Amino acid sequence: MKYTKLIALLLFIVVGMPVLAADNTLSKEDETVSEEEETLSEAEFALLVAESALSKNDRKCLRCHDEEFIQYESGIHASVRRQGNTEAPVCTDCHTTHRVRGKLPYKSATGAPCSKCHDAIFEAYAVSVHSQIRVKDDEDDAHVLGCPDCHRSHDVTAAATENQLKESCLACHEGVLLAHEEWLPNAGLHFEAVSCPACHAPAAQRKVDLRLYDNAAKKRIREKEGVPQFESRARAVDLEGKGLSALALQSLLREFNRDGGEGNTSLRGRLEVSTGVGSHQLTDKGRAIRECEYCHQKGADPFQSVTISIARPDGRLLRYDAHTDVLSSAVSIDSVGGFYAIGATRIKLLDDLLILSVAGGISLPIGHTTVKWLVRRRRRRGEVQGGMEHSGDKPPSSPDDRSAAE
Amino acid sequence: MQKIYIHPLPVRIWHWINACGFIAMLITGVQIRYVGQIDLMAFRNAVILHNWVGFVLIGNFFIWFLYYLFSDKIKVYHPELNPVKHYRDSLRQLVYYGYGIFKGDPNPHHVSAYHKFNPMQSVSYQIIMLLLVPIQFFTGLLLWDIQRFSTMVELFGGVRVVDTVHVLIFIVFAGFIFIHPYLATLGHTPTAHIKAMFTGYEEIEDAARITGEGEPGNPFKGSNREPLDRSP
Repeated sequence: MKYTKLIALLLFIVVGMPVLAADNTLSKEDETVSEEEETLSEAEFALLVAESALSKNDRKCLRCHDEEFIQYESGIHASVRRQGNTEAPVCTDCHTTHRVRGKLPYKSATGAPCSKCHDAIFEAYAVSVHSQIRVKDDEDDAHVLGCPDCHRSHDVTAAATENQLKESCLACHEGVLLAHEEWLPNAGLHFEAVSCPACHAPAAQRKVDLRLYDNAAKKRIREKEGVPQFESRARAVDLEGKGLSALALQSLLREFNRDGGEGNTSLRGRLEVSTGVGSHQLTDKGRAIRECEYCHQKGADPFQSVTISIARPDGRLLRYDAHTDVLSSAVSIDSVGGFYAIGATRIKLLDDLLILSVAGGISLPIGHTTVKWLVRRRRRRGEVQGGMEHSGDKPPSSPDDRSAAE
Repeated sequence: MQKIYIHPLPVRIWHWINACGFIAMLITGVQIRYVGQIDLMAFRNAVILHNWVGFVLIGNFFIWFLYYLFSDKIKVYHPELNPVKHYRDSLRQLVYYGYGIFKGDPNPHHVSAYHKFNPMQSVSYQIIMLLLVPIQFFTGLLLWDIQRFSTMVELFGGVRVVDTVHVLIFIVFAGFIFIHPYLATLGHTPTAHIKAMFTGYEEIEDAARITGEGEPGNPFKGSNREPLDRSP
């Protein structure tokens, strides 16, 4: 008896203690986030200037505007310029030498200068709920909300850079997590796995992006400068050239785990809007998607397109198509372990097992009862005989005995 | 007809709360997993109900757990450590359900307060109560707030892994919920076991019907039983 209690107690400890301990481990992750704000040394600054994307003429600006210069060099525009894109803006595309009050070169009516390249996106934005909103800037001047308010002016980063855009949303929309918590179960988890426009741009097309993620560094994996591996690896496992199957995805992940140490690379899924245009078609909150059933059912629209992605060195995403069944195949239990939307991405094999279990559970009693009924005479005879044998071969004498035998 | 007290009050309370709760969990669980194909209630309500009932069941589990932990009745859950005897007895029980019962043979297992489970039940309930049910509660708790338990969810390989374990056990219970009540009707009368779960007392057939291959030296012919407890 003692050992049963001991086993039970041990089991309780093994199962129970980690649950109690879980809370303490949570806060550690938060501490690692705010490290980036560093000032550059002189040597680093000189290197930045030497490798700058700016022409000699534009570099004159940085004599006074070094802060803006550093921001610019860290952004996507400098990066694509270094890669040979001459359309990417430099200082003088937004500011002119002689316009002293050139602080807000952005034109809310036309989207210039951003719309020069991003015109399709500006057109979508121009009819969205945000384009009608006036906000105050640092100097208390009111202006219509425009591109730089979310994407910033000098350090414009790739849209997919970590959580930057979500943070832009939350910077103005304070307290929305609490507001969502009032009606949305697991609101925090939804905030992590679903992009804001996925619900707030109902007309847009949605999809699932499975991002290669570094578990040790706790951020998405970036390809190393000059060593593009992702696409060639993906092509190597995509034998039919029709997108990655569940098995192909498993071997792709194995490849990445080989570089980063076993188990270091995983996939983080995110439900998002398919295009940049779509993600700017934001409507007022009354029209946002609120029905759980919209996503949480088999065949739901957002799960009909799946990509695997890695961040390029400049932060933009490199994507590779995958079959939609990577989300519902039993093979993906491990590889897509970090992404699961109840109902929508359920594993088919488990559905079959459930049918088997219920069918077994129903047919066993029916079958057993049927056989019992078919042999009812024999059974009764057996019961009577059994009763006689064990009561010293006497026939049942009392009514009690007889009823027991029946 | 004799009566023996085999289901103490805490066990009966636990059993019926657990029974209602499990049915609620299965229904809401099916609704949550099969939105669009099954339409018993709104998804959101199913999730909320599933969470609440889950916590009630976890609390209820401790009625069962603490009762047995501090009662000598825990003997009913003691495993048979002799594997030969265990398999022989289990086989005999299986042969009874699959063959003997059709011939009108008596049940080879005889209930007593410290021996209420037959060998098949005994091993099933050890697995269910000490393994499946705790794992189901544990995975359910992780899935209830994945963010709060993110470290542990990742330790197990991610939300899909935890969910798969939760669903696999759900699949076992989905079959169990049909078979368990049926087996409960196979007492000496169809309602004997069910009544016992309400009253605590199991009616035992006349002593004359107690049979079994006797063990050497056992004055009772029944192999795995103790003398009958008379009802108080």
